[in-house]
Amino acid sequence: MLKYIIRRIIVAIPVLIGVSILSFIIIQMAPGDFLDQLRINPAVSEETINKMTHQFGLDKPLVEQYFLWLKSALTGNFGYSYSYRRPVAELIWSRAFNTLVLAFSSLVFAWVIGIGLGIFSALHKYTIIDHTLTVLAFIGLATPAFFLGLLLLYFAAKTGTFPITGMTAVNHAQMPMQEKIVDILRHLFLPMLALGLIRLVGIMRQMRGQLLDVMHEDYVLFAVAKGMPRNVVIYKHALRNAINPLITMFGYALASLLSGALIIEIIFSWPGLGRLIYNALLEQDIYLVMGSLMISSAMLIGGNLIADVLLAWVDPRVRLK
Amino acid sequence: MGRKILVIVFVVLFSAATLLAVETEYKVEPYHGQYGGILITPTLSGPKTLNPAVARETSSTDIIGRFLDFLIELDQYGTIQSEGRLAKSWERLENGKVWIFHLRKGVLWSDGVPFTADDVVWTFNKVWENPNIPSGTQDVIKDAKGNFPVVEKIDDYTVKFTLKMPFRPFLRSVGEAWILPKHVLAKSVEEGTFQQQWTVSDIDKIVGTGPFIPSEYVSGERVVLKRNPHYWRKDLDGKILPYLDGEVFKIITDQNAILLAFESGEVDHMGPRSADYPRLRKEAEQKGFIVGLDGPTFGTQFFCFNFNTPDPVKRKWFRNEYFRKAVAYAFNKDAVIETTYNGLADAQWSAVSAAAKYFYNPNVRKYPYNLNFSRAMLKLGGFKLVKGKLVDKDGNPVKFIITTNSGNTVREDMCNILVENLKKLGMDVTFAPQDFNSLVKKLLNTGDWEGLMIGLTGGVDPHGGSNVWKLDGDLHFWNYSPEKRKYVKEQNDYYCPDWAKEIDAIYKKESMVSDEEAKVLFDKFQEIVAEHLPLIYTVQRKYIYAYSKKIHNMEPTAFGGRTWNVYAIWKEK
Repeated sequence: MLKYIIRRIIVAIPVLIGVSILSFIIIQMAPGDFLDQLRINPAVSEETINKMTHQFGLDKPLVEQYFLWLKSALTGNFGYSYSYRRPVAELIWSRAFNTLVLAFSSLVFAWVIGIGLGIFSALHKYTIIDHTLTVLAFIGLATPAFFLGLLLLYFAAKTGTFPITGMTAVNHAQMPMQEKIVDILRHLFLPMLALGLIRLVGIMRQMRGQLLDVMHEDYVLFAVAKGMPRNVVIYKHALRNAINPLITMFGYALASLLSGALIIEIIFSWPGLGRLIYNALLEQDIYLVMGSLMISSAMLIGGNLIADVLLAWVDPRVRLK
Repeated sequence: MGRKILVIVFVVLFSAATLLAVETEYKVEPYHGQYGGILITPTLSGPKTLNPAVARETSSTDIIGRFLDFLIELDQYGTIQSEGRLAKSWERLENGKVWIFHLRKGVLWSDGVPFTADDVVWTFNKVWENPNIPSGTQDVIKDAKGNFPVVEKIDDYTVKFTLKMPFRPFLRSVGEAWILPKHVLAKSVEEGTFQQQWTVSDIDKIVGTGPFIPSEYVSGERVVLKRNPHYWRKDLDGKILPYLDGEVFKIITDQNAILLAFESGEVDHMGPRSADYPRLRKEAEQKGFIVGLDGPTFGTQFFCFNFNTPDPVKRKWFRNEYFRKAVAYAFNKDAVIETTYNGLADAQWSAVSAAAKYFYNPNVRKYPYNLNFSRAMLKLGGFKLVKGKLVDKDGNPVKFIITTNSGNTVREDMCNILVENLKKLGMDVTFAPQDFNSLVKKLLNTGDWEGLMIGLTGGVDPHGGSNVWKLDGDLHFWNYSPEKRKYVKEQNDYYCPDWAKEIDAIYKKESMVSDEEAKVLFDKFQEIVAEHLPLIYTVQRKYIYAYSKKIHNMEPTAFGGRTWNVYAIWKEK
């Protein structure tokens, strides 16, 4: 197992380098550069723009620019952001934690409740509760996240129950520890709900469908027929088989932890990575974009690995070599 | 020997003591108010940097403006006041070639170090005029021939600026360069690391002379600023300003969320969109808001056509003055103001914004919406209708593309309204918005465009437009000269009408004459532009503001915004 994991990690290195080459080419193919906003400013002369182009190294050949980046990336320096004039890694880490807090809490929320409701729904199929959950699930699947976000925002503004924006209150720094935690939880609740609810319904439907399929398998019928207790049949045999595809889904969910919350982050002004990277894309702050793409790729590779390991752990038929 | 040292020590101590004891020349502001409170200001995006030579968007410069000062001071309409900020007064000598600034005495940096002429001389010589620190300010303080002023210290509180030639906008341009603390930043300039100073992670290192000093930055959430105890303004009662204990810039990344946050009291003031105005007006009474309007802002938006477009047939149309006049008559400004701006905008006819009160000339030719006038103009220009299609005098059907930067819904609306009317005239016009960056590239480098709607920033003094209007200007994009762009040279078909040369002559002259003479020149300039229409101006948004009744002394204007007098604002508890 350990050997397998190490091998996967080693294979990931050329994959990441390949991703970096592709990303770099695609970013460079986009028209214009970081200085375009200044080019159309009447107060800035072409001479000044040319000087800046030189300082930023934008006048160097692309291949040279890429290898300069790769060389410093291999030593752990992912370049400087043009607009912040700070190391890219530092900028990304300062925001990544906040995104992880939001994404992880909504992940836990969506998966725990989603799987629970899915099982419940499957075991009580065609009852009123199952029908209600089904209707709610379809409404949820049809609702875009941003719309739900705006609805929640409106609700918070009208009732005054939850703060509308940000992750902490203005006087957060002066609060004692307990209040700080409560403060963050209060700010976290609505964005977590907006992000989690929509994923939750998908997971619930998946879980329900998978479990119902498995419940009709011969071995389940056999186990019931031989008089095995219902709980053992469901939780020991049926569920373990039904959950397989969900674990693959979970791997992808892990991979999109950092990038999946963009719209909700913007609506709730959550101080996460999303806005940082979105602006970097608009401004063509290329090394910041590169840095975030590299992290997303690493997360995708890591998420898949975790999913595979989990799968082997849950399903004895899967053997990792 | 020992006595000598003692005497020297004594003299040094004594002079230090007198220096410290310099009485502060406070500037008295016409306000009354109470101490205390923290102003919560919303911002759509946080600061990228707090270094004034690196900053390029308002989210950064708004905060820089809280802790740094200029030499001069503008009032809320952009007029230069007789008493400056860091310069108490100044003299204009030798026909404007020499300027002597008398600095405000007894001003302290927020860390307690005295502010002197050394700071001013260093800031200009080592930062703004440093070839290794390119910045927008660098271009602004150069005269018409690209020379920097020579800056020298006369004594601790007097600085002399010497110019190679008279430069009319000198006071406004040089007076609006931020003054930096030499004792904090000198080392970094020598080491060549100045541009990496005062990033958002260096909040605790920042020193300034402004009313508030940044004290905390929470990435993506807020910037907290604390009152500068050494500030140099007083109110009518002799209280040292500012009144507020501090200000918090709260980063709210969505316009709708800003509105909701304002309504629920999370932020104290905001600049609403036209669409939000009726709703806020309705709530104002009951919720205790003050909601109002001010005249237009400085930015301008216009249509224009490429005189050097790749297709020589189309080039002829776009260079045809009657064609441009027909387009101007076909643009329904009233419809745009009603539908796009909710009625909260003004038609613009002059090349200078009405906000620039001194230089604005309202008496220029106007082109009110009238399709019959358009048809008459087209006829004069040699165009005719054949089976409902407009053709030029050689029989080529009139067909072209209008573009703008995609994502700007206001501009897209305006283009759609124009295109609809141009179709009524028999033109085959396509509206195809495109990404900002590719648009800029076509506009400034390749010249591969036909019709366009775009906007440019403006200021109080039309001198700021010289880069746009001079024949060899970097932004003279609708008709670059062959020396400036290769593609025009290759076409071997440069068209430079007399009126364009006249504008060029005005812009070559205006910076070397007095304000009064410049006013006459710029009046003429506005008349020429309106008569020949190289750019077809559209409409200008009104400035909208809203703030809570708990906030006192807030006096918003289009030029100064809501917080131009932030030192005098106070908040009820």
